[in-house]
Amino acid sequence: MPKITVITRSGDSQVVDAELNRSLMEVVRDDGIDELMALCGGCCSCATCHIYVDPADADRLPPISEDENILLDSSEHRKPEQSRLSCQIRVTEAHEGLRVTIAPED
Amino acid sequence: MSNFDTIDFFTDPSLVVDPMPYFEYLRSKGPITPLPLRNTMGVTGYEEAVAIINDPKTFSSANAATGPIPDYPFTPEGDDISEMLDAHRHEMLATGMVVAKDGLEHANHRALLMRLFTPTRLKESQEYLSTLAGELIDDMIDKGHCDLISEFATPYATMVIANLLGVPEDDRKLFCEKLGPPPGVVGEDVSYEEVTAQGFMFLFEYFAGYIAERQASPCGDVLSDLATSKFPDGTTPEVMDLVWLAAFLFGAGQDTTARLLGASLKIFAEHPELQEQVRADRSLIPAFIEEVVRFEGPVKCASRLAVKTTTVAGVEIKAGTTLAMFYGAANRDPRKFENPNEFRLDRPRSREHIGFGRGAHTCAGMALARAEITACLEQILDRVGNIQLSESKHGKASDRHFSYEPIYTLRALKSLHLEFTKIK
Repeated sequence: MPKITVITRSGDSQVVDAELNRSLMEVVRDDGIDELMALCGGCCSCATCHIYVDPADADRLPPISEDENILLDSSEHRKPEQSRLSCQIRVTEAHEGLRVTIAPED
Repeated sequence: MSNFDTIDFFTDPSLVVDPMPYFEYLRSKGPITPLPLRNTMGVTGYEEAVAIINDPKTFSSANAATGPIPDYPFTPEGDDISEMLDAHRHEMLATGMVVAKDGLEHANHRALLMRLFTPTRLKESQEYLSTLAGELIDDMIDKGHCDLISEFATPYATMVIANLLGVPEDDRKLFCEKLGPPPGVVGEDVSYEEVTAQGFMFLFEYFAGYIAERQASPCGDVLSDLATSKFPDGTTPEVMDLVWLAAFLFGAGQDTTARLLGASLKIFAEHPELQEQVRADRSLIPAFIEEVVRFEGPVKCASRLAVKTTTVAGVEIKAGTTLAMFYGAANRDPRKFENPNEFRLDRPRSREHIGFGRGAHTCAGMALARAEITACLEQILDRVGNIQLSESKHGKASDRHFSYEPIYTLRALKSLHLEFTKIK
């Protein structure tokens, strides 16, 4: 299982063992990090699982869909090249060592 | 007058019409408090409910839709019943449904469902949602009165799910007729199977047929998408997995949405000033819907099963305990929502209610439900004026009465008789 580092809003970092094929949102939520509300439960319909990923890691992630793009635009905290909805990222072996930061609450 | 100390929430019909006084009694005993029977604890606290539903490793959803009735097919022993549950899960009722699955199996099945509810999909359905609402209004607008539940809300919600899944038009009327009541009939220790067997057998039969057809020749509709879908790990679901999912969509998406629409119109009829405020400013509809779900959401009691002995908010919960999650009570927790018994359009952070649940089992259809209610309210407010409760059916303003379905899982208006004028 790839290890992914999650940086919480308070700046603490925690390494989680990410189960393959699950969404990153599920992995973070189910590991007891309770900062991702993920209100819609993962169907790309809210922006409460918003995270930042280092632009250097962008090519390790799936492209942003139109739905995701619209929702990210609804967030006051969108950062170009960094913002993603974690429910839209399925964990693969390519994510070993990924670092993600939980975005501020809207 | 029943004694709240000894009353059985799951069988006592006196709690059906208005469970709130009982929930407030439980709240006064603590946010998580033992119920007198069935090895069950009632959860009325918001934070506590969120903590429980966000910890699916400790709290299984195997009993989510049925609660503690009928008895589980095993007698819990010790501080970890995981193995016991695994051994007997298949004997429990309706555990083939995604709502009752746990862990990776749940995540896999849910992933298939999530594809049906993306914003793009919903946009494609938007026109249908509005047109259907308009057609149902056409059928009743000239007579000036209706039972919203049987004449509008139930057929609407059923047709929407049928449409979403690609049920052929010729079969849809049949679906409306055949589907039985949801689980959790109060006061009857009958099996869930007996109550729903007819409806579900019917669904299985039809959906097994549809899915086989779509697998043989996909035609680009939602059902084709489902029939040819793969789990996130690339494996192919069994036909029965897909049939369960499709059947579940009817079970979960029909009655809940219909009753939510009922609750919305009841509030409009009881508060004419609110009705006119929203009629004049449609941008208030989303906030209105969130507040209806918080205030009078359709899910009254979902359940969880503690698989490990644990402590939540200082309360010990033994492995094997059923947690009766009273979402309606949690949504009126004064520690979370100020003046919780007041209906407020401008309530801050109202969308944090748990009327749609939270965590791994968050209602998959919530975006669809919101879109359905929005389309209906838009059409109704455009065309139907001065919506009022029928005094002959519900009594005068000083003495209203309403009937609710005798179901412990749902807060479900049995009928809502409205009178109105035609705008257009």
